[in-house]
Amino acid sequence: MEFLVEGLREAVRLILRGDPQVIDATGRTLAISLSAVSLAICLGLPIALLLARRRFLGHRLLLILFRSLLGIPTVFLGLVCFGLFSRRGPLGPLDLLYTPSAIVIGETLLALPIVIALAHGAFTALDPRVSETARTLGAGPIRRLLTYVGEARTGLILAVLTAFARCSTELGIAMMVGGNLKDRTRTLATATALETGKGEFAVGLAMGGLLLLLATGMTVLVAALGKEGQKNT
Amino acid sequence: MTIVSTHGLEIFRNQAPILAVDDLDIGRGERVGIHGGNGSGKTTLLRVLAALEPTLPGQVTWQCSPDQLTLVHQDPWLFRGSVLANVEYGLAARRVKRTARRRRAADWLERLGATHLLGRNVEGLSAGERRRVALARALVIDPRLLLLDEPLAEIDDQGVQAIDLALAQLSDTTIVIASPVGLPDGFIERTIELVAPRERASRV
Repeated sequence: MEFLVEGLREAVRLILRGDPQVIDATGRTLAISLSAVSLAICLGLPIALLLARRRFLGHRLLLILFRSLLGIPTVFLGLVCFGLFSRRGPLGPLDLLYTPSAIVIGETLLALPIVIALAHGAFTALDPRVSETARTLGAGPIRRLLTYVGEARTGLILAVLTAFARCSTELGIAMMVGGNLKDRTRTLATATALETGKGEFAVGLAMGGLLLLLATGMTVLVAALGKEGQKNT
Repeated sequence: MTIVSTHGLEIFRNQAPILAVDDLDIGRGERVGIHGGNGSGKTTLLRVLAALEPTLPGQVTWQCSPDQLTLVHQDPWLFRGSVLANVEYGLAARRVKRTARRRRAADWLERLGATHLLGRNVEGLSAGERRRVALARALVIDPRLLLLDEPLAEIDDQGVQAIDLALAQLSDTTIVIASPVGLPDGFIERTIELVAPRERASRV
């Protein structure tokens, strides 16, 4: 028990002192997750809107596919990305393996189904009068799209935060395609695993604590926004 | 001169007819009231005239462009945000400059006796206030064909007077109103009486 308490004290000291290792891993985790979620938003929102507003061949199949990918194990996704980026893989010539870009791509694939499935839910929950009102007031396609995004924004923010929480705390992809290289690809999750494995329990706990803070912060925000969304409906 | 006409119009939902109308010609500047019992298709007819319901080619013919017509729902939807942004919406879609948008939006809110709503957010507006904002949002774009679904429901006497006055000043606009209750005598020039399709069938 004493060992745990001492580890926790040291972890707090490391965070408060601004330990370079901790700061470095935190900064990289944020940068990688934000990039991955931004890419997933750019790709996912138009797909979600298309699935919500149009019916076409394979529509249902696509929806089932994206929903079933919500809980994909990150280590499996890491494995797939490793196969793609490794020297003999189809994307091997790009030389991306063990770079932050590889983690960003992997996490984008992780975030994409989350953004699509949750944003699709937000768009389909919109009252039909939203599009009818926009149309009868003469809004063109771009303004209508912006109107839908504005009206569904609580649900969309929920989607983004959920995707961000999953990306920032994942270990499988960062470990498999990032390689946990110091000063290059080390994230909070991989650093936690490494430091604990090395016996540096306090450092591991500091990293893990920050990860927990990030995840719970997101969960609190998601819950608060969920309440806000209920209030507005 | 006709602004919209229908020919052999029948609308089905789940294979059951929900609207059947005799051929109809509505002239420019005309004020038409639609009457009928529950389920007679008043709202559906307005939706058809607003091009919100799919129809067969030739069933409806408009002599105005799509951005010259607008519909105010029975329970209007206001976009999240301010009253001003809502009233300006159609003008922004037409790329009207910000200062002109502000002026025209404020002008229409004043005409409808709703100047006090100008700085408000749409959250917390009463049903009557929401209706007035939606009406200002429709009128500010100066439509050629204005379709109103029970526009005066839930509006207080003062509001009704302001709306009556504002609508009476629209000499060039064709107004089609479902359930035109509360409008001054003589405002409606022609009445269309709708009968539910199943009742029509039993009468034949």
